[in-house]
Amino acid sequence: MRRNKRFPSRHPEKRIALSLAKLETQLRPVFLAALAGDAAAYRLFLDAISARLRGYLRQMLARAGRSEASEAEDVLQETLLALHLSRHTYDPASPVTAWAHAIARYKLVDHLRRSGRHAGNLPIDDEAYQLAAPESGGSDARLDLERAMQALPERTRRLIDRVKLQGASVAEAANAAGMTETAAKVAIHRGLQAMAKFLSKRGKRPA
Amino acid sequence: MQTDDLISLMTASHQKVDTGGLRRATWLAALAALAVTAGLVLVTLGARHDFASAWMTLPVLAKAALGASVAVVALGVFQSSLRPGLKRGHLLWLAAVPLALVVGWALATLAQAPAGQWSALVFGRYWLACLIAVPLYAICPFVALLVLARRGAPVDGRLTGFSAGIASAGLATVAYSLHCPDDAVPFLASWYPLAMAAVAGFGALVFPRFVRW
Repeated sequence: MRRNKRFPSRHPEKRIALSLAKLETQLRPVFLAALAGDAAAYRLFLDAISARLRGYLRQMLARAGRSEASEAEDVLQETLLALHLSRHTYDPASPVTAWAHAIARYKLVDHLRRSGRHAGNLPIDDEAYQLAAPESGGSDARLDLERAMQALPERTRRLIDRVKLQGASVAEAANAAGMTETAAKVAIHRGLQAMAKFLSKRGKRPA
Repeated sequence: MQTDDLISLMTASHQKVDTGGLRRATWLAALAALAVTAGLVLVTLGARHDFASAWMTLPVLAKAALGASVAVVALGVFQSSLRPGLKRGHLLWLAAVPLALVVGWALATLAQAPAGQWSALVFGRYWLACLIAVPLYAICPFVALLVLARRGAPVDGRLTGFSAGIASAGLATVAYSLHCPDDAVPFLASWYPLAMAAVAGFGALVFPRFVRW
C-alpha cells in the first residue's frame, strides 16, 4: 500500500485514486451549496455520494464474506440517514468525501458488530475507499427501512408516502394533510430521525 | 423502500444547515460550565483566605493558566472529534506543552531546594484534597460535554471521552485555583496532572457507551 502511494503512476489504482480527488473537487461546492439551503444541489450530492458509497460498502462487505447486494443496500440506507442527520457535523474546510466515508465506515462496523461479525479484518487504512469504484445501480434493500416506517406515527407515515410514492412536492403533501410546508418538513425530518433511531436500536437481531 | 425514495425524502425535508453550531455550543458550554463550577467552588469551599493578595502571584496564575491552556487544547480536539473524517486526535499532544513546562519548572524548583524540603514541596498541605476536588468539580463540565457529544457524530468515542475528560479537569483546575491554598510548583506539577489523567481515563471509559449513534 505504501508503495502504491509512493509510485502511484505504476499502478492502475492511480486512475481511481485520482477520480476520488476529482469527485471531491466536484462535490465540495455542490455540498456547500446544499448546506446553504439549495435542495437541488443536495439531491445531486446525495445521488453522487450514494453511488460512491454503494461501491465502497459492497466491496467491504464482500471482504467480510458477505456478497448479497441487498445487505449493502441496507447499510447504504442507514449511512445515508446518518449522513443526513449529521449534516451539521461537516466542517466546511474539510474534504466532504472523507466525511461521508467516515460515516459509512462507522455504520458498516456497527452493522457487522450487530449482526454478530467482528470487524477486525476490515481495512482501516484510508486507501480502502480510494479503491472503491462507484456503483449507480441500486438494488432492493431488505425490509429494514420498511419496518422502521411502520414504527412511525400514522400522520407522518401518510405524509412520507405522499412525498415518496406519489412524487408530490412537500408543499402539495402538506396541503393535502392540512399543515404548513414548514410543519411538513419538520414532520418528515422527525420521521427520518425516528427511522434512524429504530435502525440503530435493532439490537442483535439477525439482519 | 428504495434508496432513491429515501433520497427524495431527505431532499424534500432539507433545510439550510448551520455547520458552526457545534463549535459555538462547545465553547459556550465550556464557559457556562466553568462559571457554574467556579460558583460551586466559592459556595462549597470558599475562596482562599488570602485571595485578594494572592491572585496576582505567579503560582496562582500558573495554576489557572495550566488548567485553561489544557482545557482549550482539549476542547478543540473534542469539538473536531464530533465531526467524522477529521483526524485531529494528535493535536491533543499540544496539551502536553503546558504540562511539560510545569513539570520542568517543578524540577528546577526541586533542584534548588534542599532534599529535606522535597516532600513538603510536592505534597504541600492538601494534596489529597486537590486529588479529590478536581475530579468532583469536573463533573459539571463533564456532563455538559457528554450531552453535547450526543448531538455530534463521534466516530471514536474513546477520543471524544478522553478529550472531554481532559477539558473538564482543566476547567475544574481553573475553578479550584480560587480555593487551593498550596502554591508550590512541584505540588502543582504532581496532583493536577494526576487528577486530569484520572478524569480523562474515566471519560475514555464512559463516553463510548453513551455517544453511539
